Amino acid sequence: MTNLLPLIRNECLKIIKKKRFYVILLILLVLVPMFTYAQMRIAERSRDKFNSDWRLEIQQQITDNQNSLGSDRIPEEWKSYRRVFLQQLQYYLDHDVNPNEPSGVTFTREFLNNSVSLFIPLLIMAVASDLVSGERTTGTIKMLLTRPVRRWKVLFSKMAALLMFVSLIVLSVFVISYLISGLAFGYKGFNVPVFTGFQISGDTVDMSKVHAVAQWKYLLMQGGLIWFVSIVVALLAFMVSVLVRSTAASIVVMMAALIAGTILTNMASAWTAAKYLFMVNMELTTYLAGTPAPIEGMTLGFSMAVLGIWGLAAVIISFAVFTKRDILN
Amino acid sequence: MNDSKWTWRAVSLVSILATLLLITGFVYAVGDILNPKGEKLLSSLPQETAVPTAAASDEYKILALGDSLAKGTGDNSGEGFVRRTLTALSANEGKAELLGNMGINGLTTTALESKLKEEGVQYALRQANVILISIGGNDLFRGSNIMGTPATPKVEGSKPVPTASANDLTPESLLSALPEAAKRLGSILDTVAKINPQAQVYYIGLYNPFGDIPELLTPGNQAVTAWNNTAMDMINKHSNMTLVPTFDLFDRHLDKYLSNDHFHPNGDGYQRMSERIVQAVR
Repeated sequence: MTNLLPLIRNECLKIIKKKRFYVILLILLVLVPMFTYAQMRIAERSRDKFNSDWRLEIQQQITDNQNSLGSDRIPEEWKSYRRVFLQQLQYYLDHDVNPNEPSGVTFTREFLNNSVSLFIPLLIMAVASDLVSGERTTGTIKMLLTRPVRRWKVLFSKMAALLMFVSLIVLSVFVISYLISGLAFGYKGFNVPVFTGFQISGDTVDMSKVHAVAQWKYLLMQGGLIWFVSIVVALLAFMVSVLVRSTAASIVVMMAALIAGTILTNMASAWTAAKYLFMVNMELTTYLAGTPAPIEGMTLGFSMAVLGIWGLAAVIISFAVFTKRDILN
Repeated sequence: MNDSKWTWRAVSLVSILATLLLITGFVYAVGDILNPKGEKLLSSLPQETAVPTAAASDEYKILALGDSLAKGTGDNSGEGFVRRTLTALSANEGKAELLGNMGINGLTTTALESKLKEEGVQYALRQANVILISIGGNDLFRGSNIMGTPATPKVEGSKPVPTASANDLTPESLLSALPEAAKRLGSILDTVAKINPQAQVYYIGLYNPFGDIPELLTPGNQAVTAWNNTAMDMINKHSNMTLVPTFDLFDRHLDKYLSNDHFHPNGDGYQRMSERIVQAVR
């Protein structure tokens, strides 16, 4: 047991020395300013249109949505999504709270909501997909396994290092998007109230449990949920990396799964069995924001259970395969 | 080696702290979602944005309210009389600004009455100094199934197909809806006047969209005229309200100024309406 810590340390240093983490930071530093700029343009445009009066803007948004509800060409699922959205907007308006108060904190919240299903998993894969398959590609795995260390310890140390970096990645996404967007929108806004607790059943929103949460607390909760999703993605990517020989294949497999997930979420409401797939359940933050889940009957408990089972299975498979398999080539 | 020792220490420390922080957030979030505590909303919610102060009074701040005509349905450019009025008023160095267009397809007087109770609508009304209202058409022509008889005004559906349903449209059905709807129009005008007593209110009169169906020409004209007269009576009670007539704009020119659905005006029709409105406004 005593020799686990040095192993973890070794794996951590390997990740750092390979500069994967710097690449992730670099990606963030390039992309977040782009999103910030786009967001700024949107804010500018609506300021011109609505004379910087968000109440008028929200009211117009409500009216537009009501009009689109009337159209026969809009699928029923989108309509129920819009009905829910409408009632929430109305709630914000009735309580005189601006749902999109422009600030670095609001931007971070929105950005993370949008990146939980694809962007953050992608960053995590940059580290995870390479961990085992990378050693096989370069051949260093033989060196590693000829040491007098049990195989499960080798794998465990890799996994532990990975989980440490998952936390680091999630944290740095938060920090970087806050710091950069703050340049454009200001760093205030931690105490702005956000409503949560919308209970959705079909078309209607039960408002009885709605309560206001300070935005910093909302961010914290969001971070927790994203962290959980990221852990599961990391474990799955890790398993793929154990199973596949090359890093490229490992990344392709995970990417395909994730992209399939986003496509399925957009059109899967007819195929209900899809809700047992992990990639459909990744948007845990929707339960916080109160937007309808992609498939009827999905709840936070359900999604967490599905993700948990997938993650656990990934761990079991990784260890089973890695400890048993012959290392050839 | 010393270098990597410090890297390791920093990385492990930060990542453990980050993990703890994120786990806290996770526990919080799960608890909050699974057992949401509906609290009484505190009245201490911060009033974040001050209401913008009224700008110079020579600026027209336009708000449109009402049915598909206010929305501009049928106009291929999507402008409707609201945007066209805005354009005309902002020409020649005039200042005009559109605060919002709350036109909803298929809105009836009943639905508008309840809409006026919404805080957001009231807020927008208070900001405006020119209020354009178009309402009543759906009440008058709906008893005949002409608008697809929506279950609720929000889910108003299909475009009207007059040729199919016009047979059901009888003079009696047109007039039957009138007294009740007129009463609601009266209360709508009163409410608007109460919400914003300063604003100039322009009510867009109705025209008869069924003049091209011979057996509906006379009863339609009668019903629409009766409605417009009733509306005029009520509007005259408010000193700051004006009825903008449109009946003559479309009478016997339906083929030129109605869009393909034979119910809503087309771009040219809306243009003529907006010219009338501009004349009334200044």
